[in-house]
Amino acid sequence: MSELANAIADLKEDEVKKIVQDKVASGADPLSVVNECRQGMDIVGQRYKDKDYFLGELIMSGEIFKEAMAVLEPKLKAGQSEKPLAKMVLGTAKGDIHNIGKDIAATLLKAAGFEIYDMGTDVAPEVFINKLKETGAPILGISGMLTPSFEAMKQTIQALEAAGLRDQVKVIIGGGIVTEVVRKYVGADAFTDDAPEGVELCRKLAGAAKQ
Amino acid sequence: MIKETMTPTERTWAAIKLEPCDRIPVAPLMDVMFPSRHRGMTVAEGIAHPRRGFQAIVDTFDDAGGWDAMIIPGYSLPIPPSISAVMQVVIGDTRYPGKDPGIDEDSSPQFIEKELLTIEDYDEMIKLGWTGFAEKNIGRFFPLDPELLLAWTKRQMDRYKSEGELWKSRNIPSLCGALVMSPLMFLSTRRSLISFTQDLYRIPDKVQAVMDAMVDDLIKFAIEAARTTGIPGVELILERGGCFYYPMKIFERFEFRYMKKMIDAFTAEGFITVMHLDQDWTLNLPYFLDLPKKMCVSEFDSTTDIFKAKEILKDHMCIMGDVPAALSSIGTPAEMTAYCEKLIDQVGKGNTGFILSTGCTIPFDTKFENFQAMIDSAKNHLPQ
Repeated sequence: MSELANAIADLKEDEVKKIVQDKVASGADPLSVVNECRQGMDIVGQRYKDKDYFLGELIMSGEIFKEAMAVLEPKLKAGQSEKPLAKMVLGTAKGDIHNIGKDIAATLLKAAGFEIYDMGTDVAPEVFINKLKETGAPILGISGMLTPSFEAMKQTIQALEAAGLRDQVKVIIGGGIVTEVVRKYVGADAFTDDAPEGVELCRKLAGAAKQ
Repeated sequence: MIKETMTPTERTWAAIKLEPCDRIPVAPLMDVMFPSRHRGMTVAEGIAHPRRGFQAIVDTFDDAGGWDAMIIPGYSLPIPPSISAVMQVVIGDTRYPGKDPGIDEDSSPQFIEKELLTIEDYDEMIKLGWTGFAEKNIGRFFPLDPELLLAWTKRQMDRYKSEGELWKSRNIPSLCGALVMSPLMFLSTRRSLISFTQDLYRIPDKVQAVMDAMVDDLIKFAIEAARTTGIPGVELILERGGCFYYPMKIFERFEFRYMKKMIDAFTAEGFITVMHLDQDWTLNLPYFLDLPKKMCVSEFDSTTDIFKAKEILKDHMCIMGDVPAALSSIGTPAEMTAYCEKLIDQVGKGNTGFILSTGCTIPFDTKFENFQAMIDSAKNHLPQ
């Protein structure tokens, strides 16, 4: 594993900044630097699974990754950026204005290689549907922290069916209060109350959507 | 129906003190929202009208055939009359139903996560102490004459006392005469989770110095509130310091040392502490054995492994919880009964040390028949 990947995995923020800046200054391929950063994030994910890391380390690594990408993205030439793992539309359900869980999920999903269309909070079903149509994204993520968001999630999935998109779009719901009972109730394909698990589930959904 | 041989007060305190009960007590964490809707008001109406809102709680109690205890009396806040105490409450951006954009009249208030305190505030808090910082900065967070603010706290405190008195007249104990956050919970919610997490990793010594500057004032407010209300208990609001969020080294340094100091101080006053433990605390449970025996209640929201908690804490403290919010709002009475009976059998084993309750506050869109099933489970089912 590279020095950069290890620095990200060990949350060495200053070291990551320096390595990235040095690599950019020395003309390194920015895409390969991005990939090293992603490898570091994979180690973070593994340490989380092993219970060596917790949400705090995920947040820190996500912020370090964002800082690295702020340096690297302007250097990526048009068309050079790698093909995303999958496109995904993400937002908090209608009537719910909580953003923190969604924002953490968005950061980790971007770090994992997803192209995220973040629709914000209090997102109406038709807004989700329009963005799915516009982008052709095969995954929809709906976050919710309040029990009424269950109805909004259900209505969004019903709207997806009415729009004839349900077969093409996998839906994952997330939040501290969602359970398997909620997943069944709203008609989603997957649920999570854990951001890294959510990333793993989205990888699986992306694979399933391609088949 | 189980034949009852204890009053609700005797039953609840027996559970807290790990002494035998005639049955497992049941005490939902109630606020004004679910009762308002149950009694035909919107949530916005219930919040806007203290008397009607509180009456809705009392009516809901009667409609359900009663329960055993109020964790807090119901509507009001116990805030001592000082700027530094009130600043704990007013620093925040909560959006209210019927008042703020995006919050329907019949929805719950929602807390907006944003950076209300800055890094520079840390320096000032260390320099001036919490009270000095609060008095200097109150105008920044609340553009109202401080005298009006203090009058508001007096009204809140008076109502809190009278609400507690009403329950007492019905022989229903209120458990908490004060509400207070740990320093970590306060700073995390007022700096925002992401910025506060960065602070913990980037400037840990400064964060600790801020917590040191705050904790004695937090203890003081809580003790003053509990003394004033005459209700010998404190609801200590935790959530963000457990293993869902941080590793043990952070928990030990930034959460446990302060929560223990607070709980020890409350215990010295003869107050119990109800630890409001939202999110997962399973890995933190062994630490709770260092807290005063039979003087704490661990209140879980269904994320912590409550069965593991019983295994670890059974001879040390009472456990409360943990009916999942989703079960209350979209489950069925049969599902509710099955879950509650499982809790009573396993967490209530020995017929003590457990209070059946909602996981966090009861959701405002709870189906009444599900709520009734929860209450009836405690009244009808003995631990098997």
